[in-house]
Amino acid sequence: MLLSVRSGAFAYRGAPRLFSDLSFTLSPGEILAVLGPNGAGKTTLLRAVTGMLPWTEGKTLLDGEDIRTIPPRSLWRRIAYVPQARTAASPFTVLESVLLGRSGHIPLLGAPRSEDLARAEEVLDALSISHLREKKCTQISGGEMQMVLIARALAADPAVLILDEPESNLDFRNQLLVLDTMTRLAREGIACLFNTHYPDHALQRADRAILLHHGTAAVGEAAEIVTEENIARAFGVRAVVGAMETGETTVPHVQPLSVVSPDETPDGEETGAALAALTVISDTADAADAINGCLHEYGDMILGRMGMPVRARGVWIIHVNADGDRARIRAMLLRLSRIPGVRVKAVWGPQ
Amino acid sequence: MKKRKDGGLSPAARIVLLLLPAAAALVSLCIGRISFTPAEVFSAFGGGDSLAAVTVLRLRLPRILTALLVGAGLSAAGCAFQALFANPLATPDTLGVASGASFGAAFGILLGFGMTGIQLTALAAGALAVALTWLAGAGRREFGAIVLSGIMIGSLFSALVSLVKYTADAESQLPAITYFLMGSLQSSGYRTLLFGAPPILICCTVLFLLRWRMNLLPLSEDEARASGVRLSRLRAAVVVCATVITASCVAMCGQVGWVGLLVPHACRMKFGSNHLSLVPASLCVGAAFLTLVDTAARSVSAAEIPVSILTALAGAPLFIVLMRRTD
Repeated sequence: MLLSVRSGAFAYRGAPRLFSDLSFTLSPGEILAVLGPNGAGKTTLLRAVTGMLPWTEGKTLLDGEDIRTIPPRSLWRRIAYVPQARTAASPFTVLESVLLGRSGHIPLLGAPRSEDLARAEEVLDALSISHLREKKCTQISGGEMQMVLIARALAADPAVLILDEPESNLDFRNQLLVLDTMTRLAREGIACLFNTHYPDHALQRADRAILLHHGTAAVGEAAEIVTEENIARAFGVRAVVGAMETGETTVPHVQPLSVVSPDETPDGEETGAALAALTVISDTADAADAINGCLHEYGDMILGRMGMPVRARGVWIIHVNADGDRARIRAMLLRLSRIPGVRVKAVWGPQ
Repeated sequence: MKKRKDGGLSPAARIVLLLLPAAAALVSLCIGRISFTPAEVFSAFGGGDSLAAVTVLRLRLPRILTALLVGAGLSAAGCAFQALFANPLATPDTLGVASGASFGAAFGILLGFGMTGIQLTALAAGALAVALTWLAGAGRREFGAIVLSGIMIGSLFSALVSLVKYTADAESQLPAITYFLMGSLQSSGYRTLLFGAPPILICCTVLFLLRWRMNLLPLSEDEARASGVRLSRLRAAVVVCATVITASCVAMCGQVGWVGLLVPHACRMKFGSNHLSLVPASLCVGAAFLTLVDTAARSVSAAEIPVSILTALAGAPLFIVLMRRTD
């Protein structure tokens, strides 16, 4: 486990606690989303986790070491922070901006060396924004700026990436670009912690989620946190958490319907036992372990013995029947759908 | 001039920038009430009692050295303040240093001190002004509070300068104070350099060494902290250097306006915002600029024109031309 928060609590001076007794861990390659209404303290939480704000209670451990005891230079070589894209204050070029991310590797009185320059160029290449390198940050679009900020964070070669609403204020395409980049980085082993206003994004991208609301913080599997009940309670919005079938697979989807008063409890569509037949198609054999792991975890719901996967036209086909809580079956479905190269759909039995 | 990938200066730019102050100094050594050829100037460095040797070594050289130092210093300080406040319009006076040092100098003149005494009171009052600014603005989380208190302390010391002028003897002291504050390198000599040069040289060196790090200053608080640099220390180092330079300059030759605003700005248009090249460029261009302007100040007319008037007269049009030429 890379990063962990133990019994964290935070309050601004003279104000009630934004959250208390918050504990969670973040492992390499894992994505953790922070959700919550405006003012719930999402950005505050990220800042407290990184030590930019001191915890009122509790602590953050990085590789088991309290971050308060880690000198900033070495701390910020392991953790990188991506602020919200905003208009650049200083008209640095993109390359100069990305080089600033190397600060932790450059001596106090030094200037970037060729290896720093090489790393910066490498990161620009990896994010496919090399063409911007000589452009001034004041002259690029918001989407491009967000990619530059991610590049700057990656230039430090961090193990943990903290992103503050990375997809806010961006159009559809740029949102996808940024989220895809984050997902790819996580697959390469970087642990990502990000804030978001979109429950969809938490469901689609994150392994686990934290929901901040009225001084409480719920932590758990993304599919267990992003539920209709939680959304109604935290956001005061009646929403349908569903799985949307695309041509190929199933993607989690949250559709807000109407504003409700927070104490109104939504009707429990999500609960109750259900029967489902899942069909999984995997493009690669590499996904086998992840699929087996996931099925094993929900093993108590699986009906009968699973047969051997069928191989045809270069893909593997697996059939699974499940009997259990509707929400849990959906959680399993969403977990499977997030495994790279895996498509999954379900046929539901009568309630 | 093609920029290097890391934002540093190309070799060609380095040579040009280094030659600039040297050329300005040579021109300045030749020109004056009595003109010399470069050959005469070079032979004057051999010493002796010739007219050329006396004029060049005793009168012009210390003044030119002062101009080079003050020009470089004010430009570097301006550069530092502009980075610190993420505002290209910040000047070396933003924290109230120049007003404080001016008050010190005026007070020194009022008490009838000699040049060295005036220099020391100016330095002391400049330091006091910064300390007051820091105290008034400290404890607040936002850095903007420091700027506001700097403006307040600055106007407080401006009022004190007026008070000193009001109490001063109208026949002798008042004109002396007024001329001094207008900014003039007339009274500079090796003796003023003795106290003035070391702090400027040291602080300019520190700023030069920190030049790449200064790029972090205009970033937002979180971004700068996330770079792993102890921002408060970096800020403190830059503030101390820039204020010491400014106070030393005012102590030597009064308030020379415009250089600290104009030179870094002009350099930014030419070399970009990366301090890796901006700081050295500002140092060199500032030194050359003030040397040339001071040469004009002492040789254009029989009576010397205060250098501050000329920096503004020469600077403003130059600046507009530059601004219109860059996109």
